[in-house]
Amino acid sequence: MVSNVLTALVVGVGLGVFLQKGRFCFVHAFRDFFAFKDSRVTKAVLVATTLTMVFWSIAYALGYYQGFWTPGWGLTGLVGGFIFGVGMTYAGGCASGTLYRAGQGYLHFWLTLAFMGVGYAVFTVLFPTLESAYFEPFTVGEGVTLFEVSPVPAPVLALGVAGLVLLTYATLVGRSATGGAGGADDATGDSTAVRADGGRRTSGLGASTPVVGLRQFVAGTRAYVRGFAEIDDWKAASKRPWDPRTAALGITALAVLWFTQVSIVGVTGPEARWTGYLLQQVGVDVGGFEYWGSVLFQGQGVGLTVDMIMIAAVILGAFVAAVWSGDFSVRVPKRRRVPNAVVGGFMMGAGSRLAPGCNIGNIYSGLAELSVHSFIATVGIVAGVYAMTHWIYRDVGCAI
Amino acid sequence: MTGPSLDDFVEMPDEVDDETAEQLADQATETQDMTGEVCPYPQVEAKKAIQSLDSGDLLVQETDHVPSTENVPRAVGDDADARVWRSGSGLYRIFLRKR
Repeated sequence: MVSNVLTALVVGVGLGVFLQKGRFCFVHAFRDFFAFKDSRVTKAVLVATTLTMVFWSIAYALGYYQGFWTPGWGLTGLVGGFIFGVGMTYAGGCASGTLYRAGQGYLHFWLTLAFMGVGYAVFTVLFPTLESAYFEPFTVGEGVTLFEVSPVPAPVLALGVAGLVLLTYATLVGRSATGGAGGADDATGDSTAVRADGGRRTSGLGASTPVVGLRQFVAGTRAYVRGFAEIDDWKAASKRPWDPRTAALGITALAVLWFTQVSIVGVTGPEARWTGYLLQQVGVDVGGFEYWGSVLFQGQGVGLTVDMIMIAAVILGAFVAAVWSGDFSVRVPKRRRVPNAVVGGFMMGAGSRLAPGCNIGNIYSGLAELSVHSFIATVGIVAGVYAMTHWIYRDVGCAI
Repeated sequence: MTGPSLDDFVEMPDEVDDETAEQLADQATETQDMTGEVCPYPQVEAKKAIQSLDSGDLLVQETDHVPSTENVPRAVGDDADARVWRSGSGLYRIFLRKR
């Protein structure tokens, strides 16, 4: 137990530092990709998830793991994910983003956290009804991870998926690099890629596009590694914003540690437990509610759990990183943005319970453990971000 | 433009020192107070303002939101040249000169 608490502190503080320094934001990853075709953070999310999947599959194959999180799959992932996606885009931060920015001094995100708590509490009160009216009819099958049912060993499967991700990426990059030479502007790069075979045949470079992309990938990775050799003043460099890829690598290492010692990485589950725990402190009979008592705390009594300590430590880590970088200040939101924090937070809290799972549980951890539920929930979350991005950018327009 | 490539992974606007920041702030055609605002509103407002400015005009955003220092310049894209000033205490100025 003591070692688990220590692990929770190390992993939590570390995650807080990497999230803050890399500005690792899932809303940014999808919203700015839809709005401006800005894919820097999208790539960082892709790197972190793919690498984590590979390492988790190895840990699983060797038996060094504590268990998977695999809720039953069905329409719940789409519905809850969509609500969560809309909520996080409106609030301006995902579950992990809200945590690290709270540590950085944003009162906006403390308010978001508080209203996520309201979302968890309202969900808990309605849970008995939702179970029969929502979860039972909407759940199609038992939760499962492909690691467990795959006929090939998990690491082989994971490496195969990682290879496919890399190949797809290389093809997209290669296609826009070779196809864009004809003076086409940037915006057409991906849409020609989406148009599938047409572009490939006309350009006649079909076979070589992934190669071009892979070369760019290798060159980019080399340049990234070389970048470290060029740092002469490490103290000054540590205070500047870090490459999102550095954040992705750090997050992966911590996730592997967490997976072998405790569980997959989750945020809103522990937050929902925090809500119950705090309400218990002010005299609410939390254990009497089915969702808190028997689902979240699994009938073991309402108390502090290691994952609760871990996510609290994320706030601490982000605070330390922000103070170190000169990025800490108490930021007071404009009054006209209060609805974003309140409504967005509530939708994130309720949506993450209805899915179940947030961006970390589903997009990061869920995809990395190849959980069937999380594929569906990811589609729901990304669809929610897409819809909300188009609404917010209705005056200036979206790229896709 | 070559579309998505790993080169734009770390593309950051140039940083300016305190003195340059003061000089630039005096030249501002339009100043937007974006303190307390989080994504994506600084991006949306920057895009709107840039569309209404003339070539050579300078738009200044004051912000305390770290990611804005990168994604506001990305949002206006080729419409403006971006530079950023970091105060070291959580306040930033983003200078966007319309091309």
